[in-house]
Amino acid sequence: MRNTLISATALLLCVSAAPAQAAPGTALRNDKIYSQPSSGSAVAGSVAKGASVNILSKQGGWLRVTAGKTTGWMRLLSVRAGEGGLGGTGVGDVVGAATTRSDPSRVVAVAGLRGLNDEELKQAKFNAAELAQLDTWVVTVAQSKAFAGQASLVAIKVPALPDPKPAKASSSWENN
Amino acid sequence: MKFKWMVLAMSLVSFSGVASGFDLDKFLQDKQNKDKSTESAPAQPPATATTKEGAVTPPPAKQKIDVQQLGFALFGDYSLEEENRIGRQISGNLLGAVPLVRDDALQRYVNLVGNWVALQSGRSDITWRFGVLDTEDINAFAAPGGYIFVTKGLYRLLDNEAELAGVLGHEIAHVTRKHHLKVLKQSSLISALGQVAGSKAQNSDELVQNLIGNGAEIMARGLDKNAEYEADRFGMVFAARAGYEPWGLPEVLQDMAALPAKDARTSLLFKTHPLPADRIAKLGEAVDGRLDAVQGKDLASRFYRIR
Repeated sequence: MRNTLISATALLLCVSAAPAQAAPGTALRNDKIYSQPSSGSAVAGSVAKGASVNILSKQGGWLRVTAGKTTGWMRLLSVRAGEGGLGGTGVGDVVGAATTRSDPSRVVAVAGLRGLNDEELKQAKFNAAELAQLDTWVVTVAQSKAFAGQASLVAIKVPALPDPKPAKASSSWENN
Repeated sequence: MKFKWMVLAMSLVSFSGVASGFDLDKFLQDKQNKDKSTESAPAQPPATATTKEGAVTPPPAKQKIDVQQLGFALFGDYSLEEENRIGRQISGNLLGAVPLVRDDALQRYVNLVGNWVALQSGRSDITWRFGVLDTEDINAFAAPGGYIFVTKGLYRLLDNEAELAGVLGHEIAHVTRKHHLKVLKQSSLISALGQVAGSKAQNSDELVQNLIGNGAEIMARGLDKNAEYEADRFGMVFAARAGYEPWGLPEVLQDMAALPAKDARTSLLFKTHPLPADRIAKLGEAVDGRLDAVQGKDLASRFYRIR
């Protein structure tokens, strides 16, 4: 995603100075547009839930967007990629095209592919051999720690995110 | 006799996790007989009774027994062994529908990343198993006991290790939050559940199969929306705790949001999960600025590219 967006943006910059025609997106909530990818930076503008934005690039948890006449940074989770407003399903569009077709490393022939379906899963018969195969790839705690260490991954403390405010009756998932 | 029953009931309620060898059907029958005799007998003084061991028992409940509620009380949790057997059966069936990708390096890599993320989940009493399924369908599955599967189709959407960590984190959360076990517990198969816990079922995988339904259909039914939103929240946090940048899972959700709506590879995914846009929005509400300070790695250079 990041690479495709960045390369798409770079390509646009090289090829033409036309207004950015990057990937379309939709604001998922009322939110601010900041001048930098930081909530401590100056507020450049704001968007309303449902508004269309153009996604220019990405950096960490931030997207550089243009909304109307304002260009700046919005939180990644305040925008969804794709056109079509808030309703409906995920929509095939520029980003979809970029991620599935123009990147040669993951060209997938979409046509003719059939997904998994209910019936296949219902009819499935226990496969002990595959299960035994799965066991051959199990790793130990020591191995996974060493693997993390090779990339200097260090475990840090991150508190759990808050449960959502109970909109109506509280979820049974939290209560039993 | 009555005291004996009450002591039995109390001990079962208290130690439901170790209630192996207990026959629910017999228990229910006994309880119903007991209630009948209580109804016909003159009103008992509502005083509390003390057993030989000195445990205080409450007066018998007046209301009719709710079998469902009784099941909840008795089986507050599945034992680790039950959880493993259920997960093994579901996973074996799933693998009957879709085989594993025969690529040792890929599978080993996914296990290393997955196990490292799972280490941050606080659940260390199980053996975590990760597998990439040989299908272009875009999906991921979790089963009780630490079985996690990602399809090759989903893996192809990934750009870096942080995204893989986020996806695996979501599935790990389904296991640690026991989402599938809760579905089973709430299902109407309460009597089968009693049999699973009973000693006579110790060697019968059929009873576990009765509990989970046909084949791997539990994977086609999906979970409550709130369970998916919860798994998104925990999955992101697990990946962040493991030292990855927290935005891997949201990026994958963005990629999914951008897929063509009619793509057959996502039909099961979107049937069993809330739409990506809704998941992003819910996650956005929960995250807000809370992870702004987290500096993680995406490890794009180490990411194993599928052939």
